[in-house]
Amino acid sequence: MENKQIIGILAHNHPGVLLRITSLISRRGFNIDSLTASPSGIEGYSRLTVRISGDDDQVEQFINQMLKIVDIKKAEVLPDDSSVAMELILIKVNADQKNKNDIISLTSTYHASLVNLGSKSLTFRASGTPDQIDTLITSLRPYGILEMARTGIASLETGDNCLTI
Amino acid sequence: MQLNGSEIIAECLLEQGVDTVFGYPGGAVLNIYDALYKYSDRITHILSSHEQGAAHAADGYARTTGKCGVVIATSGPGATNLVTGIATAYMDSIPMVAITGNVSNDLLARDSFQEVDICGITLPVTKHNFIVKNVKDLANVIRKAFRIAMSGRKGPVLIDIPKDVTAAVCEYTKEIPEKIENPLLSEPSDFAAAAKAVNSAKRPMIYMGGGVVSADAEKQLLEFAEKTDCPVATSIMGLGGFPSSHRLFIGTIGMHGGYETGKATDNCDLIVTVGARFSDRVAGDRKKFAKDAVIIQLDIDKAEINKNVRIDYSLVGDLKDTLKKLTESVEKADHSEWTAMLSEWAKKSGVTETPKSDKYAHPYHVIDIVRSLTKDDDIIVTDVGQHQMWVSQRYSFEKPRRWCTSGGLGTMGYGMGAAVGAAVAAPDKKVVLFTGDGSFHMNLNELATVCSYDLNITIVVLNNTVLGMVRQWQKLFYGSRFSQTDPHRKTNFAAVAEAFGVKGMRINNDDDAENVLREAISFAGPVVVDCSVSPDENVLPMIPPGKTVDDMITEME
Repeated sequence: MENKQIIGILAHNHPGVLLRITSLISRRGFNIDSLTASPSGIEGYSRLTVRISGDDDQVEQFINQMLKIVDIKKAEVLPDDSSVAMELILIKVNADQKNKNDIISLTSTYHASLVNLGSKSLTFRASGTPDQIDTLITSLRPYGILEMARTGIASLETGDNCLTI
Repeated sequence: MQLNGSEIIAECLLEQGVDTVFGYPGGAVLNIYDALYKYSDRITHILSSHEQGAAHAADGYARTTGKCGVVIATSGPGATNLVTGIATAYMDSIPMVAITGNVSNDLLARDSFQEVDICGITLPVTKHNFIVKNVKDLANVIRKAFRIAMSGRKGPVLIDIPKDVTAAVCEYTKEIPEKIENPLLSEPSDFAAAAKAVNSAKRPMIYMGGGVVSADAEKQLLEFAEKTDCPVATSIMGLGGFPSSHRLFIGTIGMHGGYETGKATDNCDLIVTVGARFSDRVAGDRKKFAKDAVIIQLDIDKAEINKNVRIDYSLVGDLKDTLKKLTESVEKADHSEWTAMLSEWAKKSGVTETPKSDKYAHPYHVIDIVRSLTKDDDIIVTDVGQHQMWVSQRYSFEKPRRWCTSGGLGTMGYGMGAAVGAAVAAPDKKVVLFTGDGSFHMNLNELATVCSYDLNITIVVLNNTVLGMVRQWQKLFYGSRFSQTDPHRKTNFAAVAEAFGVKGMRINNDDDAENVLREAISFAGPVVVDCSVSPDENVLPMIPPGKTVDDMITEME
């Protein structure tokens, strides 16, 4: 069954490790729509979060291939029903005197906060699940989105389970 | 003790038991070659004509000995010339450590003379690679490189070393390498489940591959096959991993495998896959491969499970361990009805007996004669193309590590280098390289190496003056439009050999073949035998790509 799965990865933060991962993704033709990398809190290790589209076999193959990269110590599915996945967006929207207040009140329902007021634009910051962020974008689209930057997904398993070495 | 980087490299090679390396000197490896000069009493360096030849030689050496092959090349073009050899080793899971020099740290990333990002280039064709920017890291990186190359599923590792690191001095302390233990990843319950499936099978077969040879698991495989009375088919990478003369051996499987192995695959109810990976050249249409069979896969690489074909039971670990445990768990069986059925198919596949010709020598005749003149311990090397398939079909291999061929990457030009490596590895054995005129033209420069070291290699060039395998596909699938496959070059390979200082001989037709080959093979030194073969000879049978045994082509005009 084709679905989206989030994979948490712990990798030695050696130079080139991101290149090894992206090269493998491209070479094996995996279909990913988000990849983030950041310090993991474990000395010497980075944490990567990848969202992959594919059936169960492809997800299994993705994890097995990732684990063949010498610098990768852990790669595990973060299950939908027991994980929290969030991302952050900065989004700049067209705004004039007439609709400014409408936009601000609309975005407040998405818990987006205004970070900058331009002469012809408003810039918001919001965080939430990827779906929530998508909805925010859809609702702002009619006003004209000037630019936006999403961080990509960060995800942790809920409860006491941890991805650790 | 205080040593410079190059001496540390030499010491670390000695730690790993390396006594032979292949390579080619250059500017960025001057310091390394200076150390090799100093260590020449303990490390033999074999100089090739071209770095590609050196890489294939390290590969042939590794296949023959089971040890890790080592190749050294300079920066830039020296390093890029290794790439085909590294990729060849990668596809066939051959352990190799490639050491390349690079420009000094202060010149890196400035497009300096002979600078190339070889780590970037070889990233997809190595298990791992390193650039060592500090001499303090060097010894541990080399140890780690050997460990990676030799553990789990084996393969090539590259170490790129800037020139200043090879000159810098630091403290070195000798270390004894730890023994490599590959963990068993399957549980006792997995073995019980797989054994149950084996026990209930009525028409089981084994599909084995290069993993059996790589793991040195031929004894364990033999025991399993005999206990379960299970016929054995092999990929061409597995040849020698099971004796061809054994009553359970049914031959190679796949595109140019026999009719009986194809029928067996289609009709079996269970396949035990041992160290093989369902490549397209074996599985054809992977969705239809062994469609009625329960599939068990034994492999050291977990990523091979469910990669190409859906697996019912998998056992992951060193094949020696998994085969032994599975053998212990299964019941002794008798499948004489099934093996009788296979014998019937084998009769139908009718090994084609070809009449003698006074115009050409037939490849099968040549291979048969070579087989009769060589011992089971002698080493057979091939290049890539029709000759490779003929040898894989016809030469009966009895022992592992006597067969070097580029199975995965299909590298034309592989054979000369690999034969050098095999001959250096086994100076007391005869090495026979079967090649074609196409493949031989690619890397015959290594005749210089063969001559310099007076290697005991008989090179049999099955010279049909065409690029036969591609031409055969054009015949079958492109309306006989022989685009660029009919060069009909006039090269006189016997004369070429003589020019390199190597004995050259010629076979004109089937009548000459035996006498010439007898003289060539009994000659203790390098010989090239230019053997005239018909351009219209085909490799049959053939299952077209992506098809099944039902679509097998058994005849062509």
